[in-house]
Amino acid sequence: MTPRDRLQRRVVPRLVVHLSTVRAPARAAALLRRAAGRADTVRLYVAYDDPYSAVAVLGLTDRLRGRRARLLIEPVVQRGIPGDPAVEAKRRYAVVDARRLAARDDRTLTRSEPLRPEATAFLAGWTAAIGDPVRRAAFSAAAMAQLWCASSGPVDRAPFAALWDEHVGGPPPADDGGTALPAERGMRLRRLYDTPVAVVHGQWFFAHERLPQIEHRLDELAGRAGA
Amino acid sequence: MSRRQVEFFFSFRSPYSYLAGPRAFALADRHDVDVVFRGVIPMAMRGQSVPMAKRLHTLRDVKREADRLGLPFGRIHDPIGDGALRCLLVAEHARDAGRVREFVLGASRAIWAEAVDVATDAGLRGVCERAGLDWPACAAALDDPGIRARVDASTERLLELGHWGVPVFTLDGELFWGQDRLEDVERALAR
Repeated sequence: MTPRDRLQRRVVPRLVVHLSTVRAPARAAALLRRAAGRADTVRLYVAYDDPYSAVAVLGLTDRLRGRRARLLIEPVVQRGIPGDPAVEAKRRYAVVDARRLAARDDRTLTRSEPLRPEATAFLAGWTAAIGDPVRRAAFSAAAMAQLWCASSGPVDRAPFAALWDEHVGGPPPADDGGTALPAERGMRLRRLYDTPVAVVHGQWFFAHERLPQIEHRLDELAGRAGA
Repeated sequence: MSRRQVEFFFSFRSPYSYLAGPRAFALADRHDVDVVFRGVIPMAMRGQSVPMAKRLHTLRDVKREADRLGLPFGRIHDPIGDGALRCLLVAEHARDAGRVREFVLGASRAIWAEAVDVATDAGLRGVCERAGLDWPACAAALDDPGIRARVDASTERLLELGHWGVPVFTLDGELFWGQDRLEDVERALAR
């Protein structure tokens, strides 16, 4: 085995795994946060055309209720691995799979066909326009529920405008989602490549399939779980 | 009426396959079902590149999941190339010898938790013998074109199903992707 081979096959993977188990800095930061009266945060990158994002937003909204943790919604449209040959197959499979994941939380997805990103891009634009994170999270949860659990077929903007009025007030912004979103840059900077990703103080998770693990991470930061 | 079947698509280069292995084979212990092992050639050996960010995330996520499941993980020797292929070939022989469960679980643990280099005869032989397999027969399987054709057929079957990654399970025409979807397979088996 060449030194390069040894490095790639053994040393680097072991190092990555080992470093991922270092908990002390995040715990110390969590202690300081609590001492300063600040909450933990779950920063969740979502796409409205992604049924997994619906599972994640709705699941985390339920699970963070009553916890000292804030859900920060980061809406995106563009994401994924560039040149991924399986992107369309993944889109179709995601609807089937998300239906099963939603059932774990006693939810039923009403859509059986994938949505195109451009069909829901306006929702990402609207969500990004909400500055207050609490209202943003509330609007996002309501919009995801409307989109994936209460409608089917082509996306009609009217019910979402009503949700905007309820959660934010007034008419929705003119933004139709055609412009690049700040969260897309944030994803690239963090080397996150797909949705829904939850970033929880130094660790990240594909949130739709790691909801209990995210809760565990928050417990760990709060000193309520073993390492 | 024939017993139901769960096809279990597996790659020795996939740490998620390693995590799935014990629970996947155990389905046959708890349900009236046959678990049919289908070893497939790794994505990276099929010309599909995996971005660095994804590779790093996989290692970190698998560590968390391994801890949760009580499985050892971290003393790794990446088997991409000869190591993965040799394990696939021996796994087919192990199916014939009735030791596929023992070999697959032992080999994947050796790769992901014991840093065994299965590309070497010494490394692979130890894994084979621990699984109760006869080394000369395993060595013969490495050069058997009929065995290789079975590996290629399993890989083709996964592609025919329209899928790309592993581990994948099929049951009654339904497809489940991911070690963490075994609970959905269990739910479907209970229906």
